Amino acid sequence: MVRSVWFKIDFASHVPVYKQIKEKFKLLILTGELKPGDFVPSIRTLADDLKVNVNTVARAYRELAMEGVLEPVRGEGYIVRQLNEEGFIRSNIENFVDAVERCKEVGIGIERLMSLLKEIYGRRDDGSEREELGEEL
Amino acid sequence: MVLSVKNLVKSYRNKRAVDGVSFDVGKGQIFSLLGPNGAGKTTTIKCVLGLRKADSGEITINGSYSYLPEQKEMYRYLTVEKMVHTNERISRSFDAKRALDLLEEFQIPLKEKIANLSHGMNTLAYLSLVLAEDVDLYLMDEPTWGLDPLMRNKVLDLIRTIPQNGKSVFYTSHILSEVEKIADIVAIMVKGRIAEMDNLDDLKEKYVACAVPKGQRLSGYLYRSTKDEDIYVVKRSEANGKIQPADFDMIFEALVKGVKA
Repeated sequence: MVRSVWFKIDFASHVPVYKQIKEKFKLLILTGELKPGDFVPSIRTLADDLKVNVNTVARAYRELAMEGVLEPVRGEGYIVRQLNEEGFIRSNIENFVDAVERCKEVGIGIERLMSLLKEIYGRRDDGSEREELGEEL
Repeated sequence: MVLSVKNLVKSYRNKRAVDGVSFDVGKGQIFSLLGPNGAGKTTTIKCVLGLRKADSGEITINGSYSYLPEQKEMYRYLTVEKMVHTNERISRSFDAKRALDLLEEFQIPLKEKIANLSHGMNTLAYLSLVLAEDVDLYLMDEPTWGLDPLMRNKVLDLIRTIPQNGKSVFYTSHILSEVEKIADIVAIMVKGRIAEMDNLDDLKEKYVACAVPKGQRLSGYLYRSTKDEDIYVVKRSEANGKIQPADFDMIFEALVKGVKA
Protein backbone atom coordinates (compact mmCIF):
# COMPACT_ATOMS: atom_id res chain seq x y z
CA MET A 1 0.00 0.00 0.00
CA VAL A 2 1.22 3.42 -0.90
CA ARG A 3 0.00 6.14 1.35
CA SER A 4 -1.09 9.27 -0.41
CA VAL A 5 0.51 12.48 0.68
CA TRP A 6 -0.89 15.95 0.44
CA PHE A 7 0.53 19.28 1.50
CA LYS A 8 0.20 22.84 0.33
CA ILE A 9 2.67 24.20 -2.17
CA ASP A 10 3.32 27.92 -2.03
CA PHE A 11 3.73 28.74 -5.71
CA ALA A 12 4.39 32.40 -5.08
CA SER A 13 7.18 31.71 -2.61
CA HIS A 14 10.79 32.42 -3.41
CA VAL A 15 11.52 28.86 -2.29
CA PRO A 16 11.59 26.66 -5.39
CA VAL A 17 8.73 24.16 -5.57
CA TYR A 18 11.01 21.12 -5.79
CA LYS A 19 12.71 22.25 -2.57
CA GLN A 20 9.37 22.63 -0.81
CA ILE A 21 8.58 19.03 -1.77
CA LYS A 22 11.98 17.77 -0.57
CA GLU A 23 11.70 19.50 2.79
CA LYS A 24 8.17 18.21 3.31
CA PHE A 25 9.21 14.62 2.68
CA LYS A 26 12.09 14.91 5.11
CA LEU A 27 9.68 16.21 7.70
CA LEU A 28 7.25 13.34 7.06
CA ILE A 29 10.08 10.88 7.57
CA LEU A 30 11.37 12.57 10.69
CA THR A 31 7.93 12.58 12.27
CA GLY A 32 7.50 8.90 11.40
CA GLU A 33 4.59 9.38 9.01
CA LEU A 34 6.75 7.80 6.37
CA LYS A 35 8.95 4.93 7.51
CA PRO A 36 11.96 3.25 5.95
CA GLY A 37 10.76 0.73 3.40
CA ASP A 38 7.50 2.60 2.67
CA PHE A 39 6.74 3.37 -0.94
CA VAL A 40 6.22 7.04 -1.64
CA PRO A 41 3.50 8.04 -4.15
CA SER A 42 4.49 7.70 -7.79
CA ILE A 43 5.78 10.82 -9.49
CA ARG A 44 2.61 11.21 -11.49
CA THR A 45 0.30 10.62 -8.55
CA LEU A 46 2.03 13.19 -6.40
CA ALA A 47 2.11 15.67 -9.30
CA ASP A 48 -1.64 15.17 -9.75
CA ASP A 49 -2.38 15.48 -6.03
CA LEU A 50 -0.31 18.61 -5.57
CA LYS A 51 -1.21 19.99 -9.02
CA VAL A 52 2.40 20.58 -9.90
CA ASN A 53 4.45 19.84 -12.97
CA VAL A 54 5.57 16.19 -13.22
CA ASN A 55 9.17 17.16 -13.88
CA THR A 56 9.25 19.14 -10.65
CA VAL A 57 8.28 16.08 -8.60
CA ALA A 58 10.77 13.98 -10.56
CA ARG A 59 13.47 16.44 -9.68
CA ALA A 60 12.60 16.41 -5.98
CA TYR A 61 12.63 12.58 -5.88
CA ARG A 62 15.87 12.42 -7.86
CA GLU A 63 17.60 14.75 -5.42
CA LEU A 64 16.20 12.92 -2.41
CA ALA A 65 17.57 9.72 -3.93
CA MET A 66 20.96 11.34 -4.41
CA GLU A 67 20.94 12.32 -0.74
CA GLY A 68 20.12 8.75 0.19
CA VAL A 69 16.71 9.63 1.61
CA LEU A 70 14.79 7.75 -1.08
CA GLU A 71 15.83 4.75 -3.08
CA PRO A 72 14.63 4.05 -6.59
CA VAL A 73 13.23 0.55 -7.01
CA ARG A 74 13.40 -0.57 -10.59
CA GLY A 75 10.03 -0.27 -12.25
CA GLU A 76 8.19 0.27 -8.99
CA GLY A 77 8.97 3.77 -7.88
CA TYR A 78 10.78 5.04 -4.82
CA ILE A 79 10.97 3.74 -1.28
CA VAL A 80 12.02 5.57 1.85
CA ARG A 81 15.53 4.63 2.83
CA GLN A 82 16.77 6.74 5.66
CA LEU A 83 16.84 10.35 6.56
CA ASN A 84 20.17 11.97 7.10
CA GLU A 85 18.81 13.26 10.37
CA GLU A 86 22.00 15.05 11.25
CA GLY A 87 21.89 17.10 8.04
CA PHE A 88 18.19 17.83 8.35
CA ILE A 89 18.54 18.86 11.94
CA ARG A 90 21.52 21.03 11.12
CA SER A 91 19.65 22.91 8.41
CA ASN A 92 16.75 23.49 10.79
CA ILE A 93 19.09 24.77 13.45
CA GLU A 94 20.56 27.16 10.92
CA ASN A 95 17.07 28.55 10.37
CA PHE A 96 16.66 28.88 14.11
CA VAL A 97 19.95 30.73 14.42
CA ASP A 98 18.84 33.16 11.70
CA ALA A 99 15.61 33.80 13.54
CA VAL A 100 17.40 34.32 16.84
CA GLU A 101 19.77 36.77 15.21
CA ARG A 102 16.86 38.76 13.87
CA CYS A 103 15.36 38.84 17.36
CA LYS A 104 18.65 40.06 18.76
CA GLU A 105 18.80 42.76 16.10
CA VAL A 106 15.43 44.14 17.04
CA GLY A 107 16.41 44.11 20.69
CA ILE A 108 14.41 41.20 22.08
CA GLY A 109 15.98 40.14 25.36
CA ILE A 110 17.32 36.65 26.00
CA GLU A 111 14.91 36.14 28.92
CA ARG A 112 11.93 36.52 26.67
CA LEU A 113 13.29 34.03 24.15
CA MET A 114 14.18 31.60 26.92
CA SER A 115 10.70 31.67 28.34
CA LEU A 116 9.26 31.15 24.87
CA LEU A 117 11.53 28.17 24.35
CA LYS A 118 10.43 26.69 27.63
CA GLU A 119 6.82 27.23 26.72
CA ILE A 120 7.16 25.54 23.35
CA TYR A 121 9.15 22.60 24.68
CA GLY A 122 6.89 22.30 27.69
CA ARG A 123 3.96 21.93 25.32
CA ARG A 124 5.45 18.82 23.80
CA ASP A 125 6.08 17.05 27.09
CA ASP A 126 3.35 15.92 29.41
CA GLY A 127 0.66 18.26 30.57
CA SER A 128 1.64 18.65 34.22
CA GLU A 129 5.03 20.04 33.41
CA ARG A 130 3.47 22.46 31.03
CA GLU A 131 1.05 23.73 33.62
CA GLU A 132 3.88 24.21 36.03
CA LEU A 133 5.74 26.29 33.48
CA GLY A 134 2.61 28.18 32.64
CA GLU A 135 2.32 29.37 36.22
CA GLU A 136 5.94 30.35 36.24
CA LEU A 137 5.45 32.48 33.11
CA MET B 1 13.69 18.64 -29.66
CA VAL B 2 10.10 19.26 -30.72
CA LEU B 3 10.52 22.92 -31.57
CA SER B 4 13.70 24.84 -32.18
CA VAL B 5 13.90 28.56 -32.95
CA LYS B 6 17.20 30.23 -33.76
CA ASN B 7 17.73 33.95 -34.09
CA LEU B 8 14.24 34.82 -35.15
CA VAL B 9 13.83 38.39 -36.39
CA LYS B 10 10.60 40.01 -37.52
CA SER B 11 9.88 43.67 -38.13
CA TYR B 12 6.67 45.48 -38.93
CA ARG B 13 7.47 48.62 -40.93
CA ASN B 14 10.01 50.35 -38.70
CA LYS B 15 9.37 48.40 -35.52
CA ARG B 16 11.29 45.29 -34.58
CA ALA B 17 8.63 43.09 -33.03
CA VAL B 18 10.96 40.12 -32.55
CA ASP B 19 14.64 40.84 -32.26
CA GLY B 20 16.86 37.76 -32.38
CA VAL B 21 14.93 35.24 -30.33
CA SER B 22 16.22 31.68 -29.80
CA PHE B 23 14.79 28.82 -27.75
CA ASP B 24 14.12 25.10 -27.79
CA VAL B 25 11.14 23.12 -26.59
CA GLY B 26 12.00 19.57 -25.58
CA LYS B 27 9.82 16.49 -25.67
CA GLY B 28 7.49 16.31 -22.69
CA GLN B 29 8.21 19.89 -21.74
CA ILE B 30 5.93 22.79 -20.89
CA PHE B 31 7.52 25.94 -22.20
CA SER B 32 6.00 29.27 -21.29
CA LEU B 33 6.70 32.51 -23.10
CA LEU B 34 5.90 35.19 -20.59
CA GLY B 35 5.92 38.90 -21.15
CA PRO B 36 3.96 42.13 -20.93
CA ASN B 37 1.53 43.12 -23.69
CA GLY B 38 3.36 44.08 -26.86
CA ALA B 39 6.52 42.15 -26.03
CA GLY B 40 6.36 40.16 -29.27
CA LYS B 41 4.91 36.88 -27.98
CA THR B 42 2.12 36.56 -30.53
CA THR B 43 4.42 37.51 -33.40
CA THR B 44 6.85 34.82 -32.26
CA ILE B 45 4.17 32.13 -32.20
CA LYS B 46 2.84 33.27 -35.58
CA CYS B 47 6.31 33.10 -37.13
CA VAL B 48 6.73 29.60 -35.72
CA LEU B 49 3.52 28.59 -37.48
CA GLY B 50 4.42 30.36 -40.69
CA LEU B 51 1.44 32.71 -40.37
CA ARG B 52 3.92 35.57 -40.44
CA LYS B 53 7.00 35.47 -42.62
CA ALA B 54 10.12 35.86 -40.53
CA ASP B 55 12.74 38.35 -41.77
CA SER B 56 15.45 35.92 -40.75
CA GLY B 57 16.08 33.01 -38.45
CA GLU B 58 15.63 29.28 -38.39
CA ILE B 59 12.53 27.46 -37.22
CA THR B 60 12.26 23.69 -36.94
CA ILE B 61 9.20 21.77 -35.81
CA ASN B 62 9.62 18.03 -35.39
CA GLY B 63 6.19 16.46 -35.44
CA SER B 64 2.55 17.41 -35.61
CA TYR B 65 1.01 20.36 -33.79
CA SER B 66 -2.22 22.15 -33.07
CA TYR B 67 -2.69 25.82 -32.41
CA LEU B 68 -4.87 28.00 -30.24
CA PRO B 69 -4.72 31.52 -31.69
CA GLU B 70 -4.91 34.75 -29.76
CA GLN B 71 -8.12 35.67 -31.61
CA LYS B 72 -10.29 32.72 -30.79
CA GLU B 73 -12.64 33.07 -33.75
CA MET B 74 -14.75 30.21 -35.05
CA TYR B 75 -17.66 30.03 -37.47
CA ARG B 76 -20.19 32.12 -35.62
CA TYR B 77 -23.29 30.55 -37.08
CA LEU B 78 -22.37 26.94 -36.42
CA THR B 79 -23.43 25.25 -33.24
CA VAL B 80 -20.69 23.92 -30.98
CA GLU B 81 -21.64 20.37 -31.90
CA LYS B 82 -21.53 21.13 -35.63
CA MET B 83 -18.09 22.69 -35.12
CA VAL B 84 -16.85 19.45 -33.57
CA HIS B 85 -18.13 17.36 -36.48
CA THR B 86 -16.70 19.81 -39.01
CA ASN B 87 -13.32 19.45 -37.33
CA GLU B 88 -13.67 15.70 -37.41
CA ARG B 89 -14.03 15.82 -41.18
CA ILE B 90 -11.13 18.22 -41.73
CA SER B 91 -8.50 16.80 -39.39
CA ARG B 92 -7.28 13.23 -39.23
CA SER B 93 -5.69 13.58 -35.80
CA PHE B 94 -8.91 14.96 -34.30
CA ASP B 95 -10.62 12.88 -31.61
CA ALA B 96 -14.29 13.94 -31.55
CA LYS B 97 -15.01 11.92 -28.40
CA ARG B 98 -12.26 13.70 -26.54
CA ALA B 99 -13.57 17.08 -27.74
CA LEU B 100 -17.09 16.26 -26.57
CA ASP B 101 -15.76 15.08 -23.19
CA LEU B 102 -13.86 18.31 -22.73
CA LEU B 103 -16.84 20.41 -23.76
CA GLU B 104 -18.93 18.58 -21.22
CA GLU B 105 -16.33 19.15 -18.54
CA PHE B 106 -16.31 22.84 -19.39
CA GLN B 107 -20.13 22.87 -19.38
CA ILE B 108 -20.43 24.25 -22.89
CA PRO B 109 -23.91 23.72 -24.37
CA LEU B 110 -23.46 21.69 -27.57
CA LYS B 111 -26.58 23.01 -29.29
CA GLU B 112 -25.63 26.65 -28.79
CA LYS B 113 -24.42 28.76 -31.69
CA ILE B 114 -20.81 29.91 -31.39
CA ALA B 115 -22.01 33.51 -31.72
CA ASN B 116 -23.98 33.21 -28.49
CA LEU B 117 -21.08 32.02 -26.33
CA SER B 118 -19.49 34.38 -23.84
CA HIS B 119 -15.79 35.25 -24.20
CA GLY B 120 -14.78 32.67 -21.65
CA MET B 121 -16.99 29.93 -23.09
CA ASN B 122 -15.68 30.70 -26.56
CA THR B 123 -12.11 30.24 -25.32
CA LEU B 124 -13.04 26.95 -23.64
CA ALA B 125 -14.80 25.70 -26.77
CA TYR B 126 -11.81 26.53 -28.95
CA LEU B 127 -9.49 24.97 -26.41
CA SER B 128 -11.52 21.76 -26.43
CA LEU B 129 -11.02 21.50 -30.18
CA VAL B 130 -7.28 22.17 -29.92
CA LEU B 131 -6.71 19.70 -27.09
CA ALA B 132 -8.73 17.03 -28.90
CA GLU B 133 -6.06 16.93 -31.60
CA ASP B 134 -3.64 14.07 -31.00
CA VAL B 135 -0.40 15.89 -31.81
CA ASP B 136 3.18 16.19 -30.56
CA LEU B 137 3.10 19.90 -29.79
CA TYR B 138 0.36 22.21 -28.56
CA LEU B 139 0.95 25.86 -29.39
CA MET B 140 -1.34 28.11 -27.41
CA ASP B 141 -1.58 31.87 -27.42
CA GLU B 142 -3.09 33.07 -24.13
CA PRO B 143 -5.03 29.86 -23.43
CA THR B 144 -6.75 31.22 -20.33
CA TRP B 145 -7.90 34.49 -21.82
CA GLY B 146 -11.21 35.68 -20.37
CA LEU B 147 -11.69 32.72 -18.01
CA ASP B 148 -12.91 32.91 -14.44
CA PRO B 149 -10.46 31.65 -11.79
CA LEU B 150 -12.05 28.21 -11.45
CA MET B 151 -12.05 27.52 -15.17
CA ARG B 152 -8.56 28.95 -15.43
CA ASN B 153 -7.32 26.45 -12.89
CA LYS B 154 -9.07 23.66 -14.73
CA VAL B 155 -7.43 24.64 -18.01
CA LEU B 156 -4.02 25.02 -16.38
CA ASP B 157 -4.40 21.57 -14.90
CA LEU B 158 -5.24 20.13 -18.31
CA ILE B 159 -2.13 21.74 -19.73
CA ARG B 160 -0.10 20.42 -16.79
CA THR B 161 -0.96 16.83 -17.63
CA ILE B 162 -0.16 17.02 -21.36
CA PRO B 163 3.49 15.91 -20.91
CA GLN B 164 2.34 12.71 -19.18
CA ASN B 165 1.80 11.30 -22.65
CA GLY B 166 5.10 12.60 -23.93
CA LYS B 167 3.53 15.61 -25.61
CA SER B 168 4.91 19.12 -25.42
CA VAL B 169 3.40 22.54 -24.85
CA PHE B 170 4.43 26.00 -25.93
CA TYR B 171 2.17 28.72 -24.59
CA THR B 172 2.20 32.44 -24.07
CA SER B 173 0.90 34.32 -21.10
CA HIS B 174 1.15 37.72 -19.52
CA ILE B 175 -0.03 36.45 -16.14
CA LEU B 176 2.63 35.26 -13.71
CA SER B 177 0.55 32.96 -11.57
CA GLU B 178 -0.33 30.99 -14.69
CA VAL B 179 3.21 29.91 -15.32
CA GLU B 180 4.24 29.42 -11.70
CA LYS B 181 2.17 26.30 -11.30
CA ILE B 182 2.86 24.37 -14.44
CA ALA B 183 5.78 25.56 -16.56
CA ASP B 184 9.08 23.71 -16.86
CA ILE B 185 10.90 26.43 -18.71
CA VAL B 186 9.99 30.09 -18.63
CA ALA B 187 11.26 32.63 -21.12
CA ILE B 188 10.63 36.22 -20.16
CA MET B 189 10.20 38.30 -23.28
CA VAL B 190 10.58 42.06 -23.17
CA LYS B 191 10.64 44.43 -26.14
CA GLY B 192 11.21 41.73 -28.71
CA ARG B 193 13.98 39.94 -26.87
CA ILE B 194 14.23 37.13 -24.37
CA ALA B 195 15.58 38.78 -21.25
CA GLU B 196 15.83 35.57 -19.22
CA MET B 197 15.12 31.93 -19.84
CA ASP B 198 15.49 29.07 -17.42
CA ASN B 199 13.84 26.37 -15.42
CA LEU B 200 11.37 28.16 -13.15
CA ASP B 201 12.80 26.78 -9.90
CA ASP B 202 16.34 27.59 -11.00
CA LEU B 203 15.27 31.10 -11.84
CA LYS B 204 14.04 31.60 -8.28
CA GLU B 205 17.38 30.43 -6.96
CA LYS B 206 19.39 32.48 -9.39
CA TYR B 207 18.22 35.94 -8.31
CA VAL B 208 18.12 37.86 -5.04
CA ALA B 209 16.98 41.34 -4.11
CA CYS B 210 19.58 43.82 -2.84
CA ALA B 211 19.05 47.18 -1.24
CA VAL B 212 21.96 49.59 -1.70
CA PRO B 213 22.36 53.29 -0.89
CA LYS B 214 20.91 55.49 -3.62
CA GLY B 215 23.28 56.02 -6.50
CA GLN B 216 25.34 52.91 -5.94
CA ARG B 217 25.09 50.91 -9.13
CA LEU B 218 24.65 47.17 -9.22
CA SER B 219 24.82 45.08 -12.35
CA GLY B 220 21.28 43.81 -12.37
CA TYR B 221 17.78 45.17 -12.73
CA LEU B 222 16.44 48.11 -10.76
CA TYR B 223 13.24 47.00 -9.04
CA ARG B 224 12.25 49.90 -6.79
CA SER B 225 13.62 53.15 -5.44
CA THR B 226 12.94 54.55 -2.03
CA LYS B 227 14.08 57.91 -0.69
CA ASP B 228 17.47 56.62 0.36
CA GLU B 229 17.88 53.28 -1.31
CA ASP B 230 17.74 51.54 -4.64
CA ILE B 231 16.48 47.99 -4.66
CA TYR B 232 17.93 45.81 -7.36
CA VAL B 233 17.18 42.29 -8.47
CA VAL B 234 20.54 40.75 -9.29
CA LYS B 235 22.14 37.39 -9.82
CA ARG B 236 23.30 35.80 -6.57
CA SER B 237 26.94 36.15 -7.62
CA GLU B 238 26.53 39.93 -8.01
CA ALA B 239 24.78 40.41 -4.70
CA ASN B 240 25.76 43.30 -2.49
CA GLY B 241 24.32 45.38 0.32
CA LYS B 242 21.25 44.19 2.20
CA ILE B 243 20.29 40.91 0.59
CA GLN B 244 16.80 39.43 0.58
CA PRO B 245 15.18 36.60 -1.30
CA ALA B 246 13.38 37.49 -4.52
CA ASP B 247 10.22 35.75 -5.62
CA PHE B 248 9.27 35.26 -9.24
CA ASP B 249 6.98 38.26 -9.17
CA MET B 250 9.85 40.57 -8.28
CA ILE B 251 12.18 39.00 -10.80
CA PHE B 252 9.62 39.42 -13.56
CA GLU B 253 8.80 43.02 -12.69
CA ALA B 254 12.45 44.02 -12.41
CA LEU B 255 13.35 42.42 -15.73
CA VAL B 256 10.43 44.02 -17.54
CA LYS B 257 11.28 47.45 -16.14
CA GLY B 258 15.01 47.13 -16.56
CA VAL B 259 15.34 46.07 -20.17
CA LYS B 260 16.21 48.99 -22.42
CA ALA B 261 14.72 49.19 -25.88
